[in-house]
Amino acid sequence: MKNENFISVDKNDDGIDRAGFLKCMAWAGTGLFCMMSGGVMKSYGMSQLIDKNIGLLKKGLTLPKADFTFAQISDSHIGFNKPANPDVVGTLQAAIGKINAMPVAPSFILHTGDLSHLAQADEFDTLDQEMKSAKTGKIFYVPGEHDVLNDNGKQYLQRYGKDTKGDGWYSFDYNGVHFIGLVNVVNTSEGGLGVLGNEQLEWLQKDVKGLSSSTPIVVFAHIPLWAVYPQWGWGTRDSEQALSYLKRFGSVSVLNGHIHQTLQKVEGNITFHTATSTAFPQPQPGTAPAAGPMKVPAEQLRTLLGVTSVDYVEHNHTLAVTDTPLVIANK
Amino acid sequence: MRVSKKYGVIAALGIVVIAGIAAVPAPANEYKNLKVLPKDISTKDLSRIMIDDFEDGLGVSCGFCHAEEKDSHKLDYASDEKPEKEIARLMMKMTLDVNEKYFQVTHPLIGDSTLAINCTTCHNGHPRPGDTE
Repeated sequence: MKNENFISVDKNDDGIDRAGFLKCMAWAGTGLFCMMSGGVMKSYGMSQLIDKNIGLLKKGLTLPKADFTFAQISDSHIGFNKPANPDVVGTLQAAIGKINAMPVAPSFILHTGDLSHLAQADEFDTLDQEMKSAKTGKIFYVPGEHDVLNDNGKQYLQRYGKDTKGDGWYSFDYNGVHFIGLVNVVNTSEGGLGVLGNEQLEWLQKDVKGLSSSTPIVVFAHIPLWAVYPQWGWGTRDSEQALSYLKRFGSVSVLNGHIHQTLQKVEGNITFHTATSTAFPQPQPGTAPAAGPMKVPAEQLRTLLGVTSVDYVEHNHTLAVTDTPLVIANK
Repeated sequence: MRVSKKYGVIAALGIVVIAGIAAVPAPANEYKNLKVLPKDISTKDLSRIMIDDFEDGLGVSCGFCHAEEKDSHKLDYASDEKPEKEIARLMMKMTLDVNEKYFQVTHPLIGDSTLAINCTTCHNGHPRPGDTE
């Protein structure tokens, strides 16, 4: 006997075809390729540099000379398996593939957090395994809020926190540039805003105290250190104090992840960059009820992962998200 | 000879006791105040529910339901100070009931991908269903 109280068919027709989705996801996994020249950082989206068909630098493009280069990738979310991207390992591999296809291997890679989705040991293991295939000298990490779930970051620190302070912050010098990795995810406050905290701020003040004002500074942390969209927690509650310690320096670059899209802003001597995710897109600020994985039709995914600029490169020989146009060889 | 036999028995008993202790399964988690979710839930399952169902489904972060500790911004996950946490418990019970009663889901569990109805079904990224901003 038919029971009217029961719903026998539950359809969820989201229009996404897995094969088509994976095909488009070949475009995903973008990262940022950064070049330091005379203390000034220039950045390039790697999707714009690499020809996906041949896996090499696009024909006709030559990178400007640089003192050294490094790459930034972010928000790999290993363990995520929802329709926004059921193959986050594949898209991380795509990002690493682009790094490995660069004509000059980056001196190191910065991963700006959310290595894992649920801070599970197997997720970190997978991330580590995949990152081993990256052709680079070293990989530096800072945690995202997903990496410190459950244990306030104990496991993260055990794996990636050697020679760091507090919750995992540290600094290092490379070729005259001072790099500072900050942690703003352990004490995220109500509303999701990042927090650096007094202990880390005091450390930062001391860390830069002895540096000359001409020292180029690169700061990297997971949650943006500028108020991208505080309503969604896209900002850091006490970032202004941190940035006040950096105002006297001539060149400061701040690299963040968390928001899964490329945004740039220049404020005085400080240039802010946010990176796309290697895993899934998120909506632009204020265009959706809330932040979160954005499930889109496969044909739109390429646009939302920031690959529109590929066409822009081909037609105009410049880079949409870059600070500097590429040099055209043999012209 | 008799003495060594006695020690042998004691040692054997000791091994049995130690083995017994080792065989007691370690607690799956250290959660102190679970009332609707299974008390032996794994950290992975609980994290997935918090992130995929609550955070993404309602468009909120942890602090929406969890109160901060008295003297820091750290969250006190066991605290029931915020009323939103109790509402979340009621919502979980309601979701399980709806799945069982109207969708014939046997033994429904929050976070199970086979549920017919979940948080997102009604909330769709909003803290309160029907909110448009």
